[in-house]
Amino acid sequence: MNGLRRLRIVCQLGCLLGFFWLFVATEYRGLDELPYPVSLLFRIDPLAALADFFAPGAFAWRLLWPALLVIVATGLLGRFFCGWICPLGTTLDGAGRLLKSPGGRPRPGLRKIKYLLLLGLSAAALFGVQVFGWFDPLSLFLRTLTFSLYPVYNLFANRVFDFFYDHQLPLISDLVNGAYPFWRDHLMAFQQPVFALGLFTALVFLAVLLLEKFERRFWCRNLCPLGALLGLCSRHALVRREPASLCSDCSRCQSACRMAATGSDGHARSECVLCFECTEYCPAERVRFGFHSREGSGQVDLRRREVVTALAVGALVGPTASIAPAAASADSYLLRPPGAVAEDEFLRRCIRCGECLKVCIGRALQPAWLDAGPLGLWTPRLVARFGYCEYNCTLCGQVCPTGALRPLTLEQKHKTVIGLAVLDKDRCLPYARNEECLVCEEHCPTGRKAIVFEQKQVLVRSRIKMLKIPRVVGKLCIGCGICETRCPVEGRSAIRVTNENESRRKRDGLAWKADEKRPSA
Amino acid sequence: MNRRAFIRRSLQVAALTAVGGLPCLDLQALPAVAADPPLALRKGTDIPRLVRETVAALGGMRRFVKPGETVVVKPNIGWDRTVEMAANTHPEVVREVVLLCLEAGAGRVRVFDRTCNDPRRCYRQSGIEDILREIPDKRLRVEHMDRRAYHELAIAGGVKLNRWSFYRPALEADRFINLPIAKHHSISGLTLGMKNVMGVIGGNRGVLHRGIDQALVDINQVVHTDLTIIDATRILVANGPQGGRLEDVEVRNTLIASPDIVAADAMGTTLFGLQPADLPSVVAGARRGLGVMDLDRVRMV
Ligand code: SF4
Ligand code: SF4
Repeated sequence: MNGLRRLRIVCQLGCLLGFFWLFVATEYRGLDELPYPVSLLFRIDPLAALADFFAPGAFAWRLLWPALLVIVATGLLGRFFCGWICPLGTTLDGAGRLLKSPGGRPRPGLRKIKYLLLLGLSAAALFGVQVFGWFDPLSLFLRTLTFSLYPVYNLFANRVFDFFYDHQLPLISDLVNGAYPFWRDHLMAFQQPVFALGLFTALVFLAVLLLEKFERRFWCRNLCPLGALLGLCSRHALVRREPASLCSDCSRCQSACRMAATGSDGHARSECVLCFECTEYCPAERVRFGFHSREGSGQVDLRRREVVTALAVGALVGPTASIAPAAASADSYLLRPPGAVAEDEFLRRCIRCGECLKVCIGRALQPAWLDAGPLGLWTPRLVARFGYCEYNCTLCGQVCPTGALRPLTLEQKHKTVIGLAVLDKDRCLPYARNEECLVCEEHCPTGRKAIVFEQKQVLVRSRIKMLKIPRVVGKLCIGCGICETRCPVEGRSAIRVTNENESRRKRDGLAWKADEKRPSA
Repeated sequence: MNRRAFIRRSLQVAALTAVGGLPCLDLQALPAVAADPPLALRKGTDIPRLVRETVAALGGMRRFVKPGETVVVKPNIGWDRTVEMAANTHPEVVREVVLLCLEAGAGRVRVFDRTCNDPRRCYRQSGIEDILREIPDKRLRVEHMDRRAYHELAIAGGVKLNRWSFYRPALEADRFINLPIAKHHSISGLTLGMKNVMGVIGGNRGVLHRGIDQALVDINQVVHTDLTIIDATRILVANGPQGGRLEDVEVRNTLIASPDIVAADAMGTTLFGLQPADLPSVVAGARRGLGVMDLDRVRMV
């Protein structure tokens, strides 16, 4: 194995491990501020930057400058990101080995799909509909980890620990039980993660892996819009390969190159991911990489007709999808994490990476299916029956790489209104059944409680009894949802948070909702 | 045989006989508690000294903890609130009690509570985790509740509960030291010693709020407290049990301690200008023989 190739593999594995580590570190471990840049993967993601660029409001420089560095570096070097860094690429390399991807003639016709996809998505984004995240390989990778693989790993690990806990095997059980607290606190989720879209997300990922059965790096060659973007950037890259096309006495490169970058029409720089494998498999050891300024073929093979079609489709689908009625007006329980910007801007910034869902300490966030509108797939939604927003937590705003969720100081967080809790008097125990309860009042975290109670005389079996009846104080409620989570009524809670009053909504008038000082602690 | 040994033995017997069924505890068969229990009330601003004086008044920790025993110290760590908000037991009180147990020769001291907010946040924010981590003693464990260690019990003679799940380490320990903080509570009036024991039960605790007084007695008969020390160094007089406003906190620099949990709670009511009879759980506890609520029958030490 030669030096560059070995270096590349080490780099790939190193990056993969590094991202895994950041992933596992995306969890509250005793510090209010996360000590690591856990969403680094997306801050170097040019597609996230592109999405942000098309969104209304200012570009999130603070977050996304590293992505611009990647673009500049790609312009100079080529698609090194795909070959050296991208965790999905590394996974696909591994899957390709496992699945024994066939060599053989590539189908260059498929390649352009990714460019057309990128163009279509960009046109749509320009016209107000941003769904880069559905196809962004890094989002795909991370949300599969978050929604599927990591929960399954936790389930499995817990089962193993439980087994040795329930069956006291001599020696082994003591060892395993002793390791459990450390494992739980550092290498596992503190509580088993539960996500609604786990299976669906896993199937999408599996499909991408299985494409390896057809061609090596099928996804990267043909479908990946990030690859397309980086490909376009690397058309004039300085790193060139010698010889620039197939040699007349051998055509090994044609079938051996994982990206099918070298063919009869030369070496396509926008396809080459600089894996340097050809320096090795070339029987005559002719291949060299170096910096040359000489023009070569950097062309991306696209017909004008196709480009226009892709742009037109994007430009048409975008506005068409966005004329659907706003999901939040039909579903008053559609809540977003605290710090989310206004819904329209939110959908255009969020790249469906799942970072916020991973970090949520209260297990409040769930990926949306079609319930947040057709464009809301995989966006975070706060489902207060499953978990609540922890009063003193600001983690999701810290990890969001695109500014879809703003980072909040604790003081701002305490005043950010996620929604408004509303009692269901047909189910609430004191109202509906004259029974004592008040669990919601007990848990309400605002300093001046947003749930108060009034004493009322009720007649229970012909005896007068004093009963405490809860009531929500609208201007104090921040919609954290702990009341909904903890309500002891089985099934649907007797108090539910609606999206009324949310701070992020643009509205006129009603001064107290925005301006009145809420007690901060 | 003391109550705790009795409970442990009857659980073992139950587990052996009722194969496949629930282990069953018969509350009626419990040995009675002592009459005229001692009670200590001390004031002072130096918390470590205050703790030591209070426990010394009862005869010292060695009266409660024998060498080699496993002791559970159960503070209130229920809420994600800082020390000055008076929602959790003061960390210095916890530390001093733990130190006393260690000095008395405890074989192991375990500190835990089932929290209401995220456990990791509560352990940190309350200051209890940090202060205990500074004690360099291998016998001490500050631990999060282990979800696997809850155990369902049938409770024969329970008035409100006939079965519930309990945290096994709390039942199995040789000694249980209860360290509540005195707080206003919107549902049960006040939260003192008896209410604090709810931190070692499993299940959906919310449903207990209907008819909570008898439920508390049931729970306290299963989980017997050997020593209750009520932390009233600062108390929460409104918006409890969670608080969150300094206006609701009053500094009282007081500790109340007794081996009789009902007596301790009865004395606790006076902190809030109430009578023991004003707190239904105290009344229910006294009526069912859990302890003495009549402060005239309590031996002040
Ligand atoms: S939704 Fe609330 S609890 Fe969850 S991460 Fe965001 S701030 Fe924290
Ligand atoms: S809102 Fe959540 S899923 Fe969307 S970009 Fe931000 S962190 Fe990722």
